[in-house]
Amino acid sequence: MLSSGLRVFFEGRNMARLMAGLLVTLKIALISIAICFLAGLLAGLLMTSKRPAVRAAMRVYLESVRIVPVLVWLFLVFFGVTRAWGLNLSGELAAVLVFVFWGTAEMGDIVRGAIQSLPVHQRQSGMALGLTEAQIYRHVVAPQILRRLLPASINLATRMVKTTSLVVFVGVTEVVKTGQQIIEFSNSKNPAAAFWIYGLIFILYFLVCYPISLLSRRLEKVWAY
Amino acid sequence: MNQEALPLLQIKGLVKTYGKAPALNGVSLSVGKGDAVVILGPSGCGKSTLLRCINGLERIQSGEIILNGENISNPGARWDLVRQRVGMVFQSYDLFPHMSVLDNVLLGPLKVQKRDKAEARRQAEGLLARVGLLDRKKDYPRQLSGGQKQRVAIVRALCMNPDLMLFDEVTAALDPEMVREVLDVIAGLAEQGMTMLIVTHEMDFAKAIADKAVFIVDGAVEEESDGEVFFRNPRTERARRFLNSFQYESRRPRRKTGAAPSGLTPVPVTRATMG
Amino acid sequence: MKIQSIGVKKAITAILVLGLALALTACGNSSGAQTSAPPSDQAAPAQAGAQPLADEGAGGGADLIAGDKVRIGVFSDKPPFGYLDANGDSNGFDIYIAKRVAKDLLGDESRVEFVLVEPATRVEYLESDKVDIIFANFTVTDERKEKVDFALPYMKVALGVVSPEAAPINAVEDLKGKKLIVIKGTTAETYFTENHPDIELVKFDQISEAFQALKDGRGAGLSQDNTLLFAWARENAGFTVGVSALGRKDVIAPAVRKGNEKLLAWLNDELKKLGAEQFIHAAYEAELRPAYGDSIDPENVVIEGGETR
Repeated sequence: MLSSGLRVFFEGRNMARLMAGLLVTLKIALISIAICFLAGLLAGLLMTSKRPAVRAAMRVYLESVRIVPVLVWLFLVFFGVTRAWGLNLSGELAAVLVFVFWGTAEMGDIVRGAIQSLPVHQRQSGMALGLTEAQIYRHVVAPQILRRLLPASINLATRMVKTTSLVVFVGVTEVVKTGQQIIEFSNSKNPAAAFWIYGLIFILYFLVCYPISLLSRRLEKVWAY
Repeated sequence: MNQEALPLLQIKGLVKTYGKAPALNGVSLSVGKGDAVVILGPSGCGKSTLLRCINGLERIQSGEIILNGENISNPGARWDLVRQRVGMVFQSYDLFPHMSVLDNVLLGPLKVQKRDKAEARRQAEGLLARVGLLDRKKDYPRQLSGGQKQRVAIVRALCMNPDLMLFDEVTAALDPEMVREVLDVIAGLAEQGMTMLIVTHEMDFAKAIADKAVFIVDGAVEEESDGEVFFRNPRTERARRFLNSFQYESRRPRRKTGAAPSGLTPVPVTRATMG
Repeated sequence: MKIQSIGVKKAITAILVLGLALALTACGNSSGAQTSAPPSDQAAPAQAGAQPLADEGAGGGADLIAGDKVRIGVFSDKPPFGYLDANGDSNGFDIYIAKRVAKDLLGDESRVEFVLVEPATRVEYLESDKVDIIFANFTVTDERKEKVDFALPYMKVALGVVSPEAAPINAVEDLKGKKLIVIKGTTAETYFTENHPDIELVKFDQISEAFQALKDGRGAGLSQDNTLLFAWARENAGFTVGVSALGRKDVIAPAVRKGNEKLLAWLNDELKKLGAEQFIHAAYEAELRPAYGDSIDPENVVIEGGETR
């Protein structure tokens, strides 16, 4: 009975649809992760700025990202932007924008923590050598914080992959929504469909997230000193 | 001592406050080329702050710092240029942990001074050989002892070819058996005519090396004398008491063996402050 | 410590701008079929008692919508009303009617773009002009009437409560001290919040999650439109719709953006025309009877020509 449920994968275009859904998930997640990891480094610098006004602005940014749920941001960007300016963003673009906005704040906070955990004497040694601020970041701060950033940023990346399931609310059908559509359609004839579909989605998420943690372990070794 | 020539470093009326608390209260000082100047004083008197002001790690409120005739305390001073001429070594031997010994030494020459790599490397290796660490050039800081790290830190500053070296309690964080190897390096530099300002609590070392001694109390210069004069016969009472506080062996009344103690004799010393 | 950091700041700005540009180009080519349509509040002069704009079967409503396809918001996982079949094509009771509406509007059934919506996003899709019509089991409520314009209804609905046959909920009283599963943004959520605040609600965003929760025993029952529950209980052995008609008897209608009176008038005429030929009954036979079986009287569900008897 359970194994006969497997047929759900071979009916119609179900498998192709699941894979297409996975591609949507991957596309949104990976583009967002790539951008917000870079932007997050800069956000982190701004969060440790010597100017109180810059720090305060970044604080407001971070808190507003944290207080307002990602789903609300998705609505604001996907529907709100259209209503306010008549600009019709695609669901995927809205999703990437929100994920970058969210991820950059979170990444920035991770970077801020890493920078502040660095002994103040490290920066002063760099200054005493005559390094410019940019050179201190490039040669002293960045190489030392990268490794400290790894665990938290990998955590953020996998969180972002999983949060892509929210993009269904802006009309983007990713892998989980595809699965639900298939389950609801197949349910009457194949009650075991839910088990198999969710099982496959579990494996797919694992296949996406596991290489990320493998990469992180690799980098932790490479960046060891 | 080279008193005829224009002083390499001149400090006039230097004032530095943290909030309202004054750290330096009108310090004036002059350092001739080739002088080894030892700065002494009780803990918290402002010695370290003075060094940090000289290479711009602290912003000063008023006064002038003149290096080679150039006022570097101007608001427009290019500290990145000044710092290339003023080497500084800290108490906590802050090598960059992610770089090898050689890369630590070469960072400034290559990135700040944009020097030729082969040439800078030759100099770095020469300096490492002089402090006896050439064979450790590929090691990472965590593989070195405290004394070795501090010697590398000195080489890192020297490799910038500074006019002036600042040593800020460089042996204070070291285990006692490692102090000597570091002090020997500094003494060697002094012999070769490097101009230096040394903040230290190692009195024997200070006495041996000082061309000039500057005694600071509460952010002001209490006494500025030739090294020999200062350690043999300080002019001020406070300096005398300060120096005596390091001499406790000779001032302790010895007990006669076998005789019963006649009660504790209070020892009239100001406590040696070693922080 | 006053280090010149102007260079750093410039670099930061440059990279932020670059990142945004990357995001835009990376997604620009996948923006789907949604073309930007300027809000057309002023473009629709009031046309009370509008004249019939649709020619018989030949379309003629092209000036009522912005693009060359009519965008209709439908459900994707709510059989038998709106769902995707194994090939990923939209089907169901709502879609059956919507396809006909598209054909009559633009002369060609293929000139419809089905936009997949969630219960909680139906109003937003209309308000932001991302769809022309919502055909997604949209219950008419006073609150929603303030935000969207409903056309004539095509279906009746009341709330039902589905529960395990082994522990049936046969009246609201049976829910005392138990948990009831609802879906956010539905009439069921509103009804129980307002009328039975003492019943603890377990809320889900998505229908499939909610049904799964019922199966997992995370609630004693699940409340939703009875029309949906009839089909679900028939398909899921061991569950029964113990409470079949609760609260107000509501109606379900297509909706257009508030103020889009031209399209509204056309849609009302269209529904009257469909009523004249008993088209909703045909839709029932095609899509609902297979799901409901013969135990439900179609007259309890279907509305023809907008007339509730």
